[in-house]
Amino acid sequence: MRVGLTGFATLSLPGLFRLRAAGAAQPNRPKTAVIMVWKPGGCSHLDTYDPKPDIGSEYRGPFRTIATNVPGTRLTELLPLQARLADKFTLIRSMKQTAGGHPAGSMQMLSGDLDTRDKPKPRLPDWMSVAHYLRAREGKRTNPLPNYIGVNAPLEYNGPAYLGDAYSTFAVQDDPNLPRFEVPNIGVGNSAESRRLGDRATLRQSLDTLERAFDKEGELGALDQFEAQALTLLTHPQTRDAFDLSKEDSRTRDRYGRNRWGQQLLLARRLVEAGVEIVTSQLSGPLCGRTGVWDDHAVDHHIFDALRFRMGNYDQAVSALIEDIYARGLDQRVLVVVSGEFGRTPKISFDRSTGGGDGSGPAGTTQPGRDHWPQAFSNLWAGGRFRMGGVIGATDKRGEEVTERPCQPADFLATIYHHLGLDWQHATIKDFTGRPTHIVSGGSPISELTG
Amino acid sequence: MHINPLRPVFALAVRRGRPAWLAGLLLALPVFAAERLRPVSFVNDVVPVLTKAGCNSGACHAKAGQGQNGFQLSLLGFEPQEDYEHLVKESHGRRVFAASPDQSLLLRKAVNRVAHGGGQRLEEGSEPYRLLRSWLQQGMIFDRDTAPKLVSLDVQPPRKTIKVKGEQQLKITARYSDGRTRDVTPVALYEANDRAMAEASETGRVKISDIPGNVAVMVRYQGLAAVCNVSIPLGAPVKNLPPNKNFVDELVFANLKLIGVPPSPVCDDATYLRRVSLDIAGRLPSAAEAEVFLASKDPAKRDKLVDALLSSPDYADYFANKWTALLKNKRDGASDITANFAFHSWVRDSLLANKPYDQLVRQLLAATGTIEGNPPVAWYKRVKQPTEQIEDVAQLFLGVRMQCAQCHHHPFERWSQHDYYSMSAFFSQIGRKPTATAGEDVIFHKRGVAQAENKKIDLKAVVRVITQSSTYQLSATPNQHNGVDRQNYSHFYPRRMQAEVLLDSIDQFTGAKTDFADLPAGTRAIALPDNSYNRGSAFLKVFGRPEGASVCECERASSASLAQSLHLMNASDVKGKLGAGGGRAERLAKDDKPAAPKIRELYLAAFAREPQSHEQAVVEEYLSRPREDAQGKPLPPDQARRIAYEDLLWALINTKEFLYNH
Repeated sequence: MRVGLTGFATLSLPGLFRLRAAGAAQPNRPKTAVIMVWKPGGCSHLDTYDPKPDIGSEYRGPFRTIATNVPGTRLTELLPLQARLADKFTLIRSMKQTAGGHPAGSMQMLSGDLDTRDKPKPRLPDWMSVAHYLRAREGKRTNPLPNYIGVNAPLEYNGPAYLGDAYSTFAVQDDPNLPRFEVPNIGVGNSAESRRLGDRATLRQSLDTLERAFDKEGELGALDQFEAQALTLLTHPQTRDAFDLSKEDSRTRDRYGRNRWGQQLLLARRLVEAGVEIVTSQLSGPLCGRTGVWDDHAVDHHIFDALRFRMGNYDQAVSALIEDIYARGLDQRVLVVVSGEFGRTPKISFDRSTGGGDGSGPAGTTQPGRDHWPQAFSNLWAGGRFRMGGVIGATDKRGEEVTERPCQPADFLATIYHHLGLDWQHATIKDFTGRPTHIVSGGSPISELTG
Repeated sequence: MHINPLRPVFALAVRRGRPAWLAGLLLALPVFAAERLRPVSFVNDVVPVLTKAGCNSGACHAKAGQGQNGFQLSLLGFEPQEDYEHLVKESHGRRVFAASPDQSLLLRKAVNRVAHGGGQRLEEGSEPYRLLRSWLQQGMIFDRDTAPKLVSLDVQPPRKTIKVKGEQQLKITARYSDGRTRDVTPVALYEANDRAMAEASETGRVKISDIPGNVAVMVRYQGLAAVCNVSIPLGAPVKNLPPNKNFVDELVFANLKLIGVPPSPVCDDATYLRRVSLDIAGRLPSAAEAEVFLASKDPAKRDKLVDALLSSPDYADYFANKWTALLKNKRDGASDITANFAFHSWVRDSLLANKPYDQLVRQLLAATGTIEGNPPVAWYKRVKQPTEQIEDVAQLFLGVRMQCAQCHHHPFERWSQHDYYSMSAFFSQIGRKPTATAGEDVIFHKRGVAQAENKKIDLKAVVRVITQSSTYQLSATPNQHNGVDRQNYSHFYPRRMQAEVLLDSIDQFTGAKTDFADLPAGTRAIALPDNSYNRGSAFLKVFGRPEGASVCECERASSASLAQSLHLMNASDVKGKLGAGGGRAERLAKDDKPAAPKIRELYLAAFAREPQSHEQAVVEEYLSRPREDAQGKPLPPDQARRIAYEDLLWALINTKEFLYNH
């Protein structure tokens, strides 16, 4: 199994060396937590959560609608499992932002930066880093797990900006469905390596004699703490357990789906159960189709074939996560948010495929696609003691514009901060120029959700 | 003199030159009549009340923060004329009601008698409340042009020595253009620059905590600021001061005597050699350099070392690395490579030649032409907008942050929007035309020629005066008195090595090399021309090498993090360096010399010092331990030795003595 910090610092978790004397830390009184499921590239709202069955075929798409267990709420046939759980989530159909590019769109949603131009680097920290930072300031954590973990983390268009890498994600970039991920491989070679690292750590301890007295600022103390935490992370049974999906009932694993996405979301649930408070999981890669993302332009994917290819696993994983957090009573503490940076153009466009593969016809064949659509899209919220079973907002008959209760990125962020108990109204963080910058500007929690 | 508009009616009436009969009349009038006669000034009375109550703060009704519920005031009351319009005229004047002041929304909201998102801000019947009420009652008048203007702010005492745990009441006097003065203590705003050392209450009472040193309390009132400087003495005897080597020591030691904090002694040769090599040349001294320096009996060897380091190309590399990040030499697209290399070379060569600082800055700011002809033009390539130009120039070269003043008066400084745009006008005559290379413009001056006096500011002399001072040479180990001091230079404050330097140091120590794309083998991290190499180097990223996004040195992360600890312990690139072919571990393992000189070499290379006897013993024992392979069979001695040396390198790199400049 490969675990890294934002993609590097490769280390093998299991049994690297003996647990040091570190007193087995107990998790704090559980605090609220968030799991964000991210659909990079932008998911077509018309073909999923905001169906428009009564418009012309140049918009509609091939999918029928189905009833849900909430009278009046209908989804497309791509989401049969979620349709049975519609009382356990609330949809926002009136999400909107103003950036049409993936970088700027993601930065709008994840960090609240209203800039519509695509920038290579985020200017503002994403909400996950902000929450990580503000929670860290609430006091010392006794839980050995990092507080912000990305299970296949979104990393490309977000980051800690002026908060610094100390508040970025602990990124698990490997596929939790792989056997080597699920079975801790305590082979002979590893135990030798583990002994060796133990030897090194002991040697270091006896040579690390630099005068400690000068450390009134706690800087070296902090370093000691990080070193101990790093060792703990490698050796503590709780840490190992939190990542060990083999500890899950095999029926649970099946329920999520024995594939990368299913096991990612199962791992996300396992991590919040173990006391991690901020978890992200990006649904990308081969399960998306040829390009690995949800960006269903006609040149990249046959959007409808791609959705047929993709949505079974998606529906299974997301519905399992929702069901599971309720079944375990985590819904009181854990909020699940499922979103992407934007929706897709209601009007179907046609273009020649640039390459064949999953969800895409052979190169040169003309196929349907949809382009970027930030004006109106949908996202899903579950748990968090929010009001469930509802639909907030609406779009016009073609799904092009928001007609009711527009929700902005700032509202999206304020709602998440509200759930985490962070002072979205007043909390400020100093940017590089020393200017105190509000963590959200110009939004408020979506009251239809928060109650 | 204390003038409160609601009370000392006589004095005021007389001072304002009202006829004496009026004063006589006043004697006979009841108090409310007197209130009516003394006009309340919107600018000098009402706005300060709103500011003190926080109404116009960013999170509440400040325009900059959108203004809650449509009620907008200028941030911290810097635009009274606008505030007046919003307060009195906007929304059909619904916020104020002169005929029945207590029914005004302004007051009802302020005391939370109607629901107010900001809660209760004023006590009913309090002095500020009565002031607002009188202003309403008097007909909500805006000051005439002839109304006195605030001209200066005076804080008493301006400087004071206060004992630990002591307290001091400040008195703030505002002086107006008509010569009047007024005690504004209750309405001024107070802020200590270090809250760990002092807290200032809303009423201007300063409470000193238990940390000795110097602290400043800033007092703000309308557009002006004043400062009270407080020295908090520890009162310990300050004797046996190191020699005053230059003005740095004179000033620092005089302050230490004043506050009674004795400095630590001057550090030993090994510590100095390592410290000054890292600070000037951005690298560790080699084992050979350490040996020569430690053995030298020359009394001037430290001063000579500084001169040698300053004339080495390492100095230019290290400081060019610092400057190019601050000057935003960053690569956004592949085509930036030419400009970035040219700009980096220009900065480095300028530093190597010790080009006077003023000349360097002038060549940068007055640059015209194309990047190929004149590399400093590259700065204008990246910093395009006049607003960005003035902000960067102010922060980098003037030490002032102007950003806030773009949209409103700087809340904590004396800079107004007027200052901001006057300053940015300097850059308005810079013209640009596209060239054949996409994204690169030719820069010219539309009118006028940039000129300045030659000052010949010597950058190396600055480094020299700092590093040769006794202050810089103090030990990092505190004595019983100066441990908490982080402000007065009573001892050296250890710093974690920065990303590039740490990577180079690990390479130098292990004998490995880091490969950077498209650069000659052996290029060191401090010589990298721009930020693009961070992407390929997990090490540089995790240890916080800046991306050239900001003119603030704070973009460089200097704090420790879990990611860094994990990286040093277990990342594959660091592990690879330990066992690098031709590296130090391999060489020492193959060498048949006895262990002692090899251990000595390791300590000189890592810490520029000899190993102590207990360290020698621990290491010798570790090296001589028998080792087994994965199957539990004993390893042949050469392999066992190789493993032992790699472990030793790992252990030494992971000590704080290695990671820190101390």
